[in-house]
Amino acid sequence: MRLLTHNMLSSNIKGVTNGFPLRIEVEKVVEKSVDFNPDFLKNMFAKIEYKALVEASRIMGYAELPDHAEPSMLESDDFLRKFHHALMELHLEEGTLVCPETGRRFPVNKGVPNMLLHEDEV
Amino acid sequence: MPFQSLNFFAASNVLGGLTRKHITLFTGCPLPRDRFTTSVQGARILNKKEMAVRQASLGGVDVDLETKTNVEKLKRGIAEFYDESSGIWEDIWGDHMHHGFYDPNSTVSLSDHRAAQVRMIEEALKFASVPEDPMKKPKSIVDVGCGIGGSSQYLARKYGTECTGITLSPVQAERARALAAAQGLENKVSFEVADALNQPFPDGKFDLVWSMESGEHMPEKAKFVNELARVAAPGARIIIVTWCHRNLSSSEQSLNPDEKKLLDKICDAYYLPTWCSTDDYVKLLQPLSLQDIKAADWSEYVAPFWPAVIRSALTWKGITSLILSGWKTIKGAMVMPLMMKGYKKGLIKFAIITCRKPE
Repeated sequence: MRLLTHNMLSSNIKGVTNGFPLRIEVEKVVEKSVDFNPDFLKNMFAKIEYKALVEASRIMGYAELPDHAEPSMLESDDFLRKFHHALMELHLEEGTLVCPETGRRFPVNKGVPNMLLHEDEV
Repeated sequence: MPFQSLNFFAASNVLGGLTRKHITLFTGCPLPRDRFTTSVQGARILNKKEMAVRQASLGGVDVDLETKTNVEKLKRGIAEFYDESSGIWEDIWGDHMHHGFYDPNSTVSLSDHRAAQVRMIEEALKFASVPEDPMKKPKSIVDVGCGIGGSSQYLARKYGTECTGITLSPVQAERARALAAAQGLENKVSFEVADALNQPFPDGKFDLVWSMESGEHMPEKAKFVNELARVAAPGARIIIVTWCHRNLSSSEQSLNPDEKKLLDKICDAYYLPTWCSTDDYVKLLQPLSLQDIKAADWSEYVAPFWPAVIRSALTWKGITSLILSGWKTIKGAMVMPLMMKGYKKGLIKFAIITCRKPE
């Protein structure tokens, strides 16, 4: 699971009003090389929650991403490359995503998160 | 050749004539009957906070306990069916688990079917007027009921953007991921095991909400449609391509008993809840403040599909694969002639329903 995916997942358990972002518990992180595509990254920047990405990347072991970002920073190659690395190249292979309100744990196995809710959670 | 045709029709009729009783006797396990009601609910798309409040205030009595249990059984059945059957389908048909789109009355060979499946995607996008202009094209896509990711891959490649797919089947999600990686699309497509009725996304996330032949599995159509609308971003297109039964006339309350009997057999084998009509989908979308709601009957454009699937099942490869797969898959194969019968009678419709969320 890349952090781009993590940035769009939230906990929809009954009664939860703010299930985003899911807390990450790491068991296995894999870094995968991905082609650098500045246009794609610029499009994505508008769509993601940057703060959640920064926090998540730190937990995944990458501390280079600046705490705050403005769209103007997308012109900087240095920032774009860090953004690219955090968003696209850090993969959670094994671990858990945790609902920030209820603590409910959603497993991630072989890079695939299982977000299915139990009967009493819907 | 005449002899082969005779075999094909004989086999089809024998298969189609098998009833639940035969299957129950043969396997020794009774098949569950599941009944799900569809109802028109609500006048707006509920966002997550509103849904939470509504559920809390209703004390969770939206759905009674028996129905809830049936829904859980259905979901497990769907997951297990696809866990078991995806491999054999992929082996013979490839990564698109949906009907092909054909010119009416055309004759098609086996090699044309893959192109027809791709055409189905393109025709659906065209019907919904999804923009191709670089400024207006979709920048984020969700594939609801993604199978092994055929549509996700295609859409991500076509629009050069990211797509995420959800499926109840862990086997499919894992396979989808592997296939995408093999195509070099691992950075553009992702997959999660999740429920279309409770999508794990915040509101308004996706510019294109895609449901290609998964709607027929959804037990609570109103909830399904509400979720599609909820995760759609302003200006997004929602595309539903699904199996429906014929629209009821104004004097009808329901399908006639023979029609229900035919659909019941299909439901048991494919883990489908009660069917609804294309009109029902339109009625569910209308109160949600969505624009450009369009619907069409594409049954004539998919006519060659089921005969082709049956033919592929009756090949040596098809039969040996079925025997090796599992009972769920075999049962699914056995009701294929009933799908043909349903289409021929005008009972089963291949429907497309699309709309747009306002900006």
